[in-house]
Amino acid sequence: MTAKKAPNRAELLQGTLDMLILRTLLFGPAHGHQIAKHIQRTTDDVLQVEHGSLYPALHRMERKGWIVAKWEIAKDRNREFKYYRLTLAGKKQLVREQSRWKQLAGAVATVLRPVRGD
Amino acid sequence: MRVWDWLRSRIARVAVWRRRDRDADVQRELEAHLELESEEQRDSGVPPEEARYAARRAFGNRTRVQEDVREIWSANWLERFARDVQYAARSLRKSPGFATVAILTLALGIGANTAIFSAIDALMLRPLPFTAADQLVRIYSVQKGVFNTFANPDGPSALDVRDFARRSHSFQNLVAYDTWAKNVSFDESAGQPEQLDVGLVSAAYFEILGIRPIIGRLFSEDENQEGKNYVAAISAQLWRNRFDSDPSVLGRKVRINGEPYTVVAVMPDVIPAWVEPGRHSNIWTPFPYSPDMWAESGRGERGYAVLARLKPGVSLEQAQADLSVIAAALAAEHPVDEGVGVSVKRLADSRVGALRPMLYLLMGAVSLILLIACVNLANLLLARNSARQRELAVRAALGAGRGGLVRQLLAETLLLSLIGGAVGFACAEIGMRALARMHPENVPQLNSVGIDWRVLTFTLMVSLVTSLLFGLAPAFMGTRLNLVDALKQGGRSGTSGRSSQRVRSLLVITEMAMCLMLLVGASLLVRSIMRLESQDLGIRQDHLLRGRIYLPPVRYTNPGKRTRFCDDFATRVRALPGVIVATVTTVYPPNNGWTQMLVIPGHPATRIQEVPSAQFGVVDQHFLRTLGIPLIRGRDFAESDSATSPAVALISEEFKRRYFAAEDPIGRKVHIGPPQLPGIAVEENITDDVDVTIIGVIGDFKNAGLVRAPQPQVTVLYSQHPLVNGGFKDILIRTASDPYSVESEVRSQLRALDSDMPLAEVQTIDELVERSTGGQRFTTVLLASFAVAGLALAVVGIYGVVSFLVAQRKQELAVRMALGASYANVLWLVLKHGLKMAAIGAVLGLCGAWAAQKFTAGLLYGISPLDPLVFAGAPIFLLAVAAIACAIPGARVLQIDPAQALRQD
Repeated sequence: MTAKKAPNRAELLQGTLDMLILRTLLFGPAHGHQIAKHIQRTTDDVLQVEHGSLYPALHRMERKGWIVAKWEIAKDRNREFKYYRLTLAGKKQLVREQSRWKQLAGAVATVLRPVRGD
Repeated sequence: MRVWDWLRSRIARVAVWRRRDRDADVQRELEAHLELESEEQRDSGVPPEEARYAARRAFGNRTRVQEDVREIWSANWLERFARDVQYAARSLRKSPGFATVAILTLALGIGANTAIFSAIDALMLRPLPFTAADQLVRIYSVQKGVFNTFANPDGPSALDVRDFARRSHSFQNLVAYDTWAKNVSFDESAGQPEQLDVGLVSAAYFEILGIRPIIGRLFSEDENQEGKNYVAAISAQLWRNRFDSDPSVLGRKVRINGEPYTVVAVMPDVIPAWVEPGRHSNIWTPFPYSPDMWAESGRGERGYAVLARLKPGVSLEQAQADLSVIAAALAAEHPVDEGVGVSVKRLADSRVGALRPMLYLLMGAVSLILLIACVNLANLLLARNSARQRELAVRAALGAGRGGLVRQLLAETLLLSLIGGAVGFACAEIGMRALARMHPENVPQLNSVGIDWRVLTFTLMVSLVTSLLFGLAPAFMGTRLNLVDALKQGGRSGTSGRSSQRVRSLLVITEMAMCLMLLVGASLLVRSIMRLESQDLGIRQDHLLRGRIYLPPVRYTNPGKRTRFCDDFATRVRALPGVIVATVTTVYPPNNGWTQMLVIPGHPATRIQEVPSAQFGVVDQHFLRTLGIPLIRGRDFAESDSATSPAVALISEEFKRRYFAAEDPIGRKVHIGPPQLPGIAVEENITDDVDVTIIGVIGDFKNAGLVRAPQPQVTVLYSQHPLVNGGFKDILIRTASDPYSVESEVRSQLRALDSDMPLAEVQTIDELVERSTGGQRFTTVLLASFAVAGLALAVVGIYGVVSFLVAQRKQELAVRMALGASYANVLWLVLKHGLKMAAIGAVLGLCGAWAAQKFTAGLLYGISPLDPLVFAGAPIFLLAVAAIACAIPGARVLQIDPAQALRQD
């Protein structure tokens, strides 16, 4: 029952976070930690990925079939990590999310156009 | 149940296995993440111990993440449902009292209704096993003002049927048929001879019903003539039992009443017993129309069963109108048909006959049970959920959404209904068996009744809707409640609001009212049947065995032979050890005798309705002694009264009252037989045509059935009345000990006299009485058990409300006691509430019972449907039971320790 709240709170972020994860995975398989670090790094630490949202998001996307997961030994260490990979459905979803995001960003940009004469 | 268990374990196993696996997986994933995180911290110079804490801090609530992930994966509805069901099962297990009562309530309602409605469906509603069965009708004669036409429909005469067939335009085909008990013996099988009901039918009977022989052929038209009628059709059942289903049975001989008949057909077992006028026929022979049957004098010989098939498109009303016109014309043409009408009934509607009003009564009663059960269920759920208001509020406060709560309550309700339904199904199964076991002999259809799935579904649905209605309402009300309010209000003792308490009281009042109606109905029937069975038959009823014989005319060609045989038989039986005395007779209580028209001096008749009549019987000289009927005056029959001496008669007191009110009847002469009136042929109304001298007056006995008062009776000696010395006779045997102890000896005496003659229908008079009230007792037992069930439910209802009240008002009561109220005062406060509900319910129930009197009136004997004893006793009984049900939770008041109760919460 308690879980009911998580999707509600994540709703706003969800689309964005999903898009960012998918986008990260476009460059190749990655595990949770790498995904979080990558998003942080590429956004110059502007976007802090909350772990409480990251893992549920990953599992949600896995369930929807956008990504697949597999335990593999990392190349640089002798340890197993759960690597996520983009599926075809995931790529399509990324395209959809990106175009929606662009629309949204465009719309917001229009609203935020500098006011002349100030 | 087993399927459900299997499914549950399957779901549970898959769900649990997958969840455990995934939990471990997530755990490992998060561990790996934390490991990396703390490594990074360490790399940036933080001490290892601190690094791990920092990593954990940065990560946040790990359990929460795990639960979120679990939720994501278990969003599968089946899994979620299984989890809800598991939770529901746990929560029901935690309140076993509630669960047991709720399940039993459901089971009772569902079980009783399924059983009764399945029976009713099989008896009254199920389509008949014949092609185009809605075209099939039966035709009855109704004698206006003479018989109760509905209870006692009579058949037309053969001539009437012939004229119906000739003049009407509504029927494809029309057939008169009859059933006769006859002695049947089978040669090769060497089995005992048996008295069987032989159907007398023409081929048209089977054609109308649309039945083809399994093997063989139907009777030909030719074979309906006397002399050519020695062919027989047997049922598949008889074929199996007596001939081992041997196909070469065709052409074999069967002896019926001493005459050989050739088997020409085997008929399938599809004709229900109620289509035939007697009991079930397993053997049929043609209906030979003797030439004198078609003589006008036979017009008044009614009693044939008539079956017809309507022409396509002809309605029942059209057929009725058609025949009514013909009957009116016949009545105008023939004086004997005067006042005789005709009634056309669908074959399907004729199937339960006298049982119909009882079935309606049971239907009403069992519906009341379902209502009471639903009300009780509603009450239980309301009580439970209002007690859970606080739990629900707490869970809502902890973040459970309304959907979750509703889903939870739904799962509980469904689980409850399903278990209740399953137990109810088992109850119905048991109930059906019990029904079939105790069914009266006249309802053989009950043997073939099975559970009706539509009925089961319907009752399950009704209880499901009830439980959903009352089970889910608090979920919606509860979730709409302001959490703080609910918690605050619930803070004291988990109370419900005043309105829900009012609803529950109303429910209990309804229950009480319906329960009282059941109690009144059951008590009326019980009293009625007790009267019926305990009444004085006018004889000494105990230690009296009876058996029936039939002397076929082929072998016993004249009355002298019949007299000799009966006298021989009775003499041999009287000589047996253990036999006190025995008599051969055609009349004994509680059977109907036959009604005989008489000519009595001083009672002239100009119209047929004015002709004096009496119940008539032919007996031997040992009649009075065997039955124990008192001789009031005059003398009994003596051995000296023989075929050659003057004919003598005994009359009953009622006969004397009616026809010799002021005079001494001894020595007076009465003519047995109808007077000479225009329109009455002597042959009609059978029988005798002789003057008898009255020699004695005997006590009245029940000679017209159990229900009617004794009618005038005239009894004569068969040896003196050759015309009425027929083949059917009964032997009555008074024994010293158990009547059945002499049975085999009596049989062997009969066999010694005639090896082809069966002794049929052997039973004691006690059993005969019991059997004739079988239908009544059947209804009574059922109704009484419904009343008990209803009472149990109502008691549970009132108990629940009062115990809830006590729990809820504990503090208040404690305060009262602390302020000096006595225990008695406080107890009365509690009892008052319960008794008020019971009293209001009882008053409403009395009104209901009063309104229902016209349904019960027809089923009662000897008491009024408003019997004061019942109408006073039933509510007193109900109130007493209610008081006890209230006193048990009320007694808990006495255990209240004011100091402790006030400190609670």
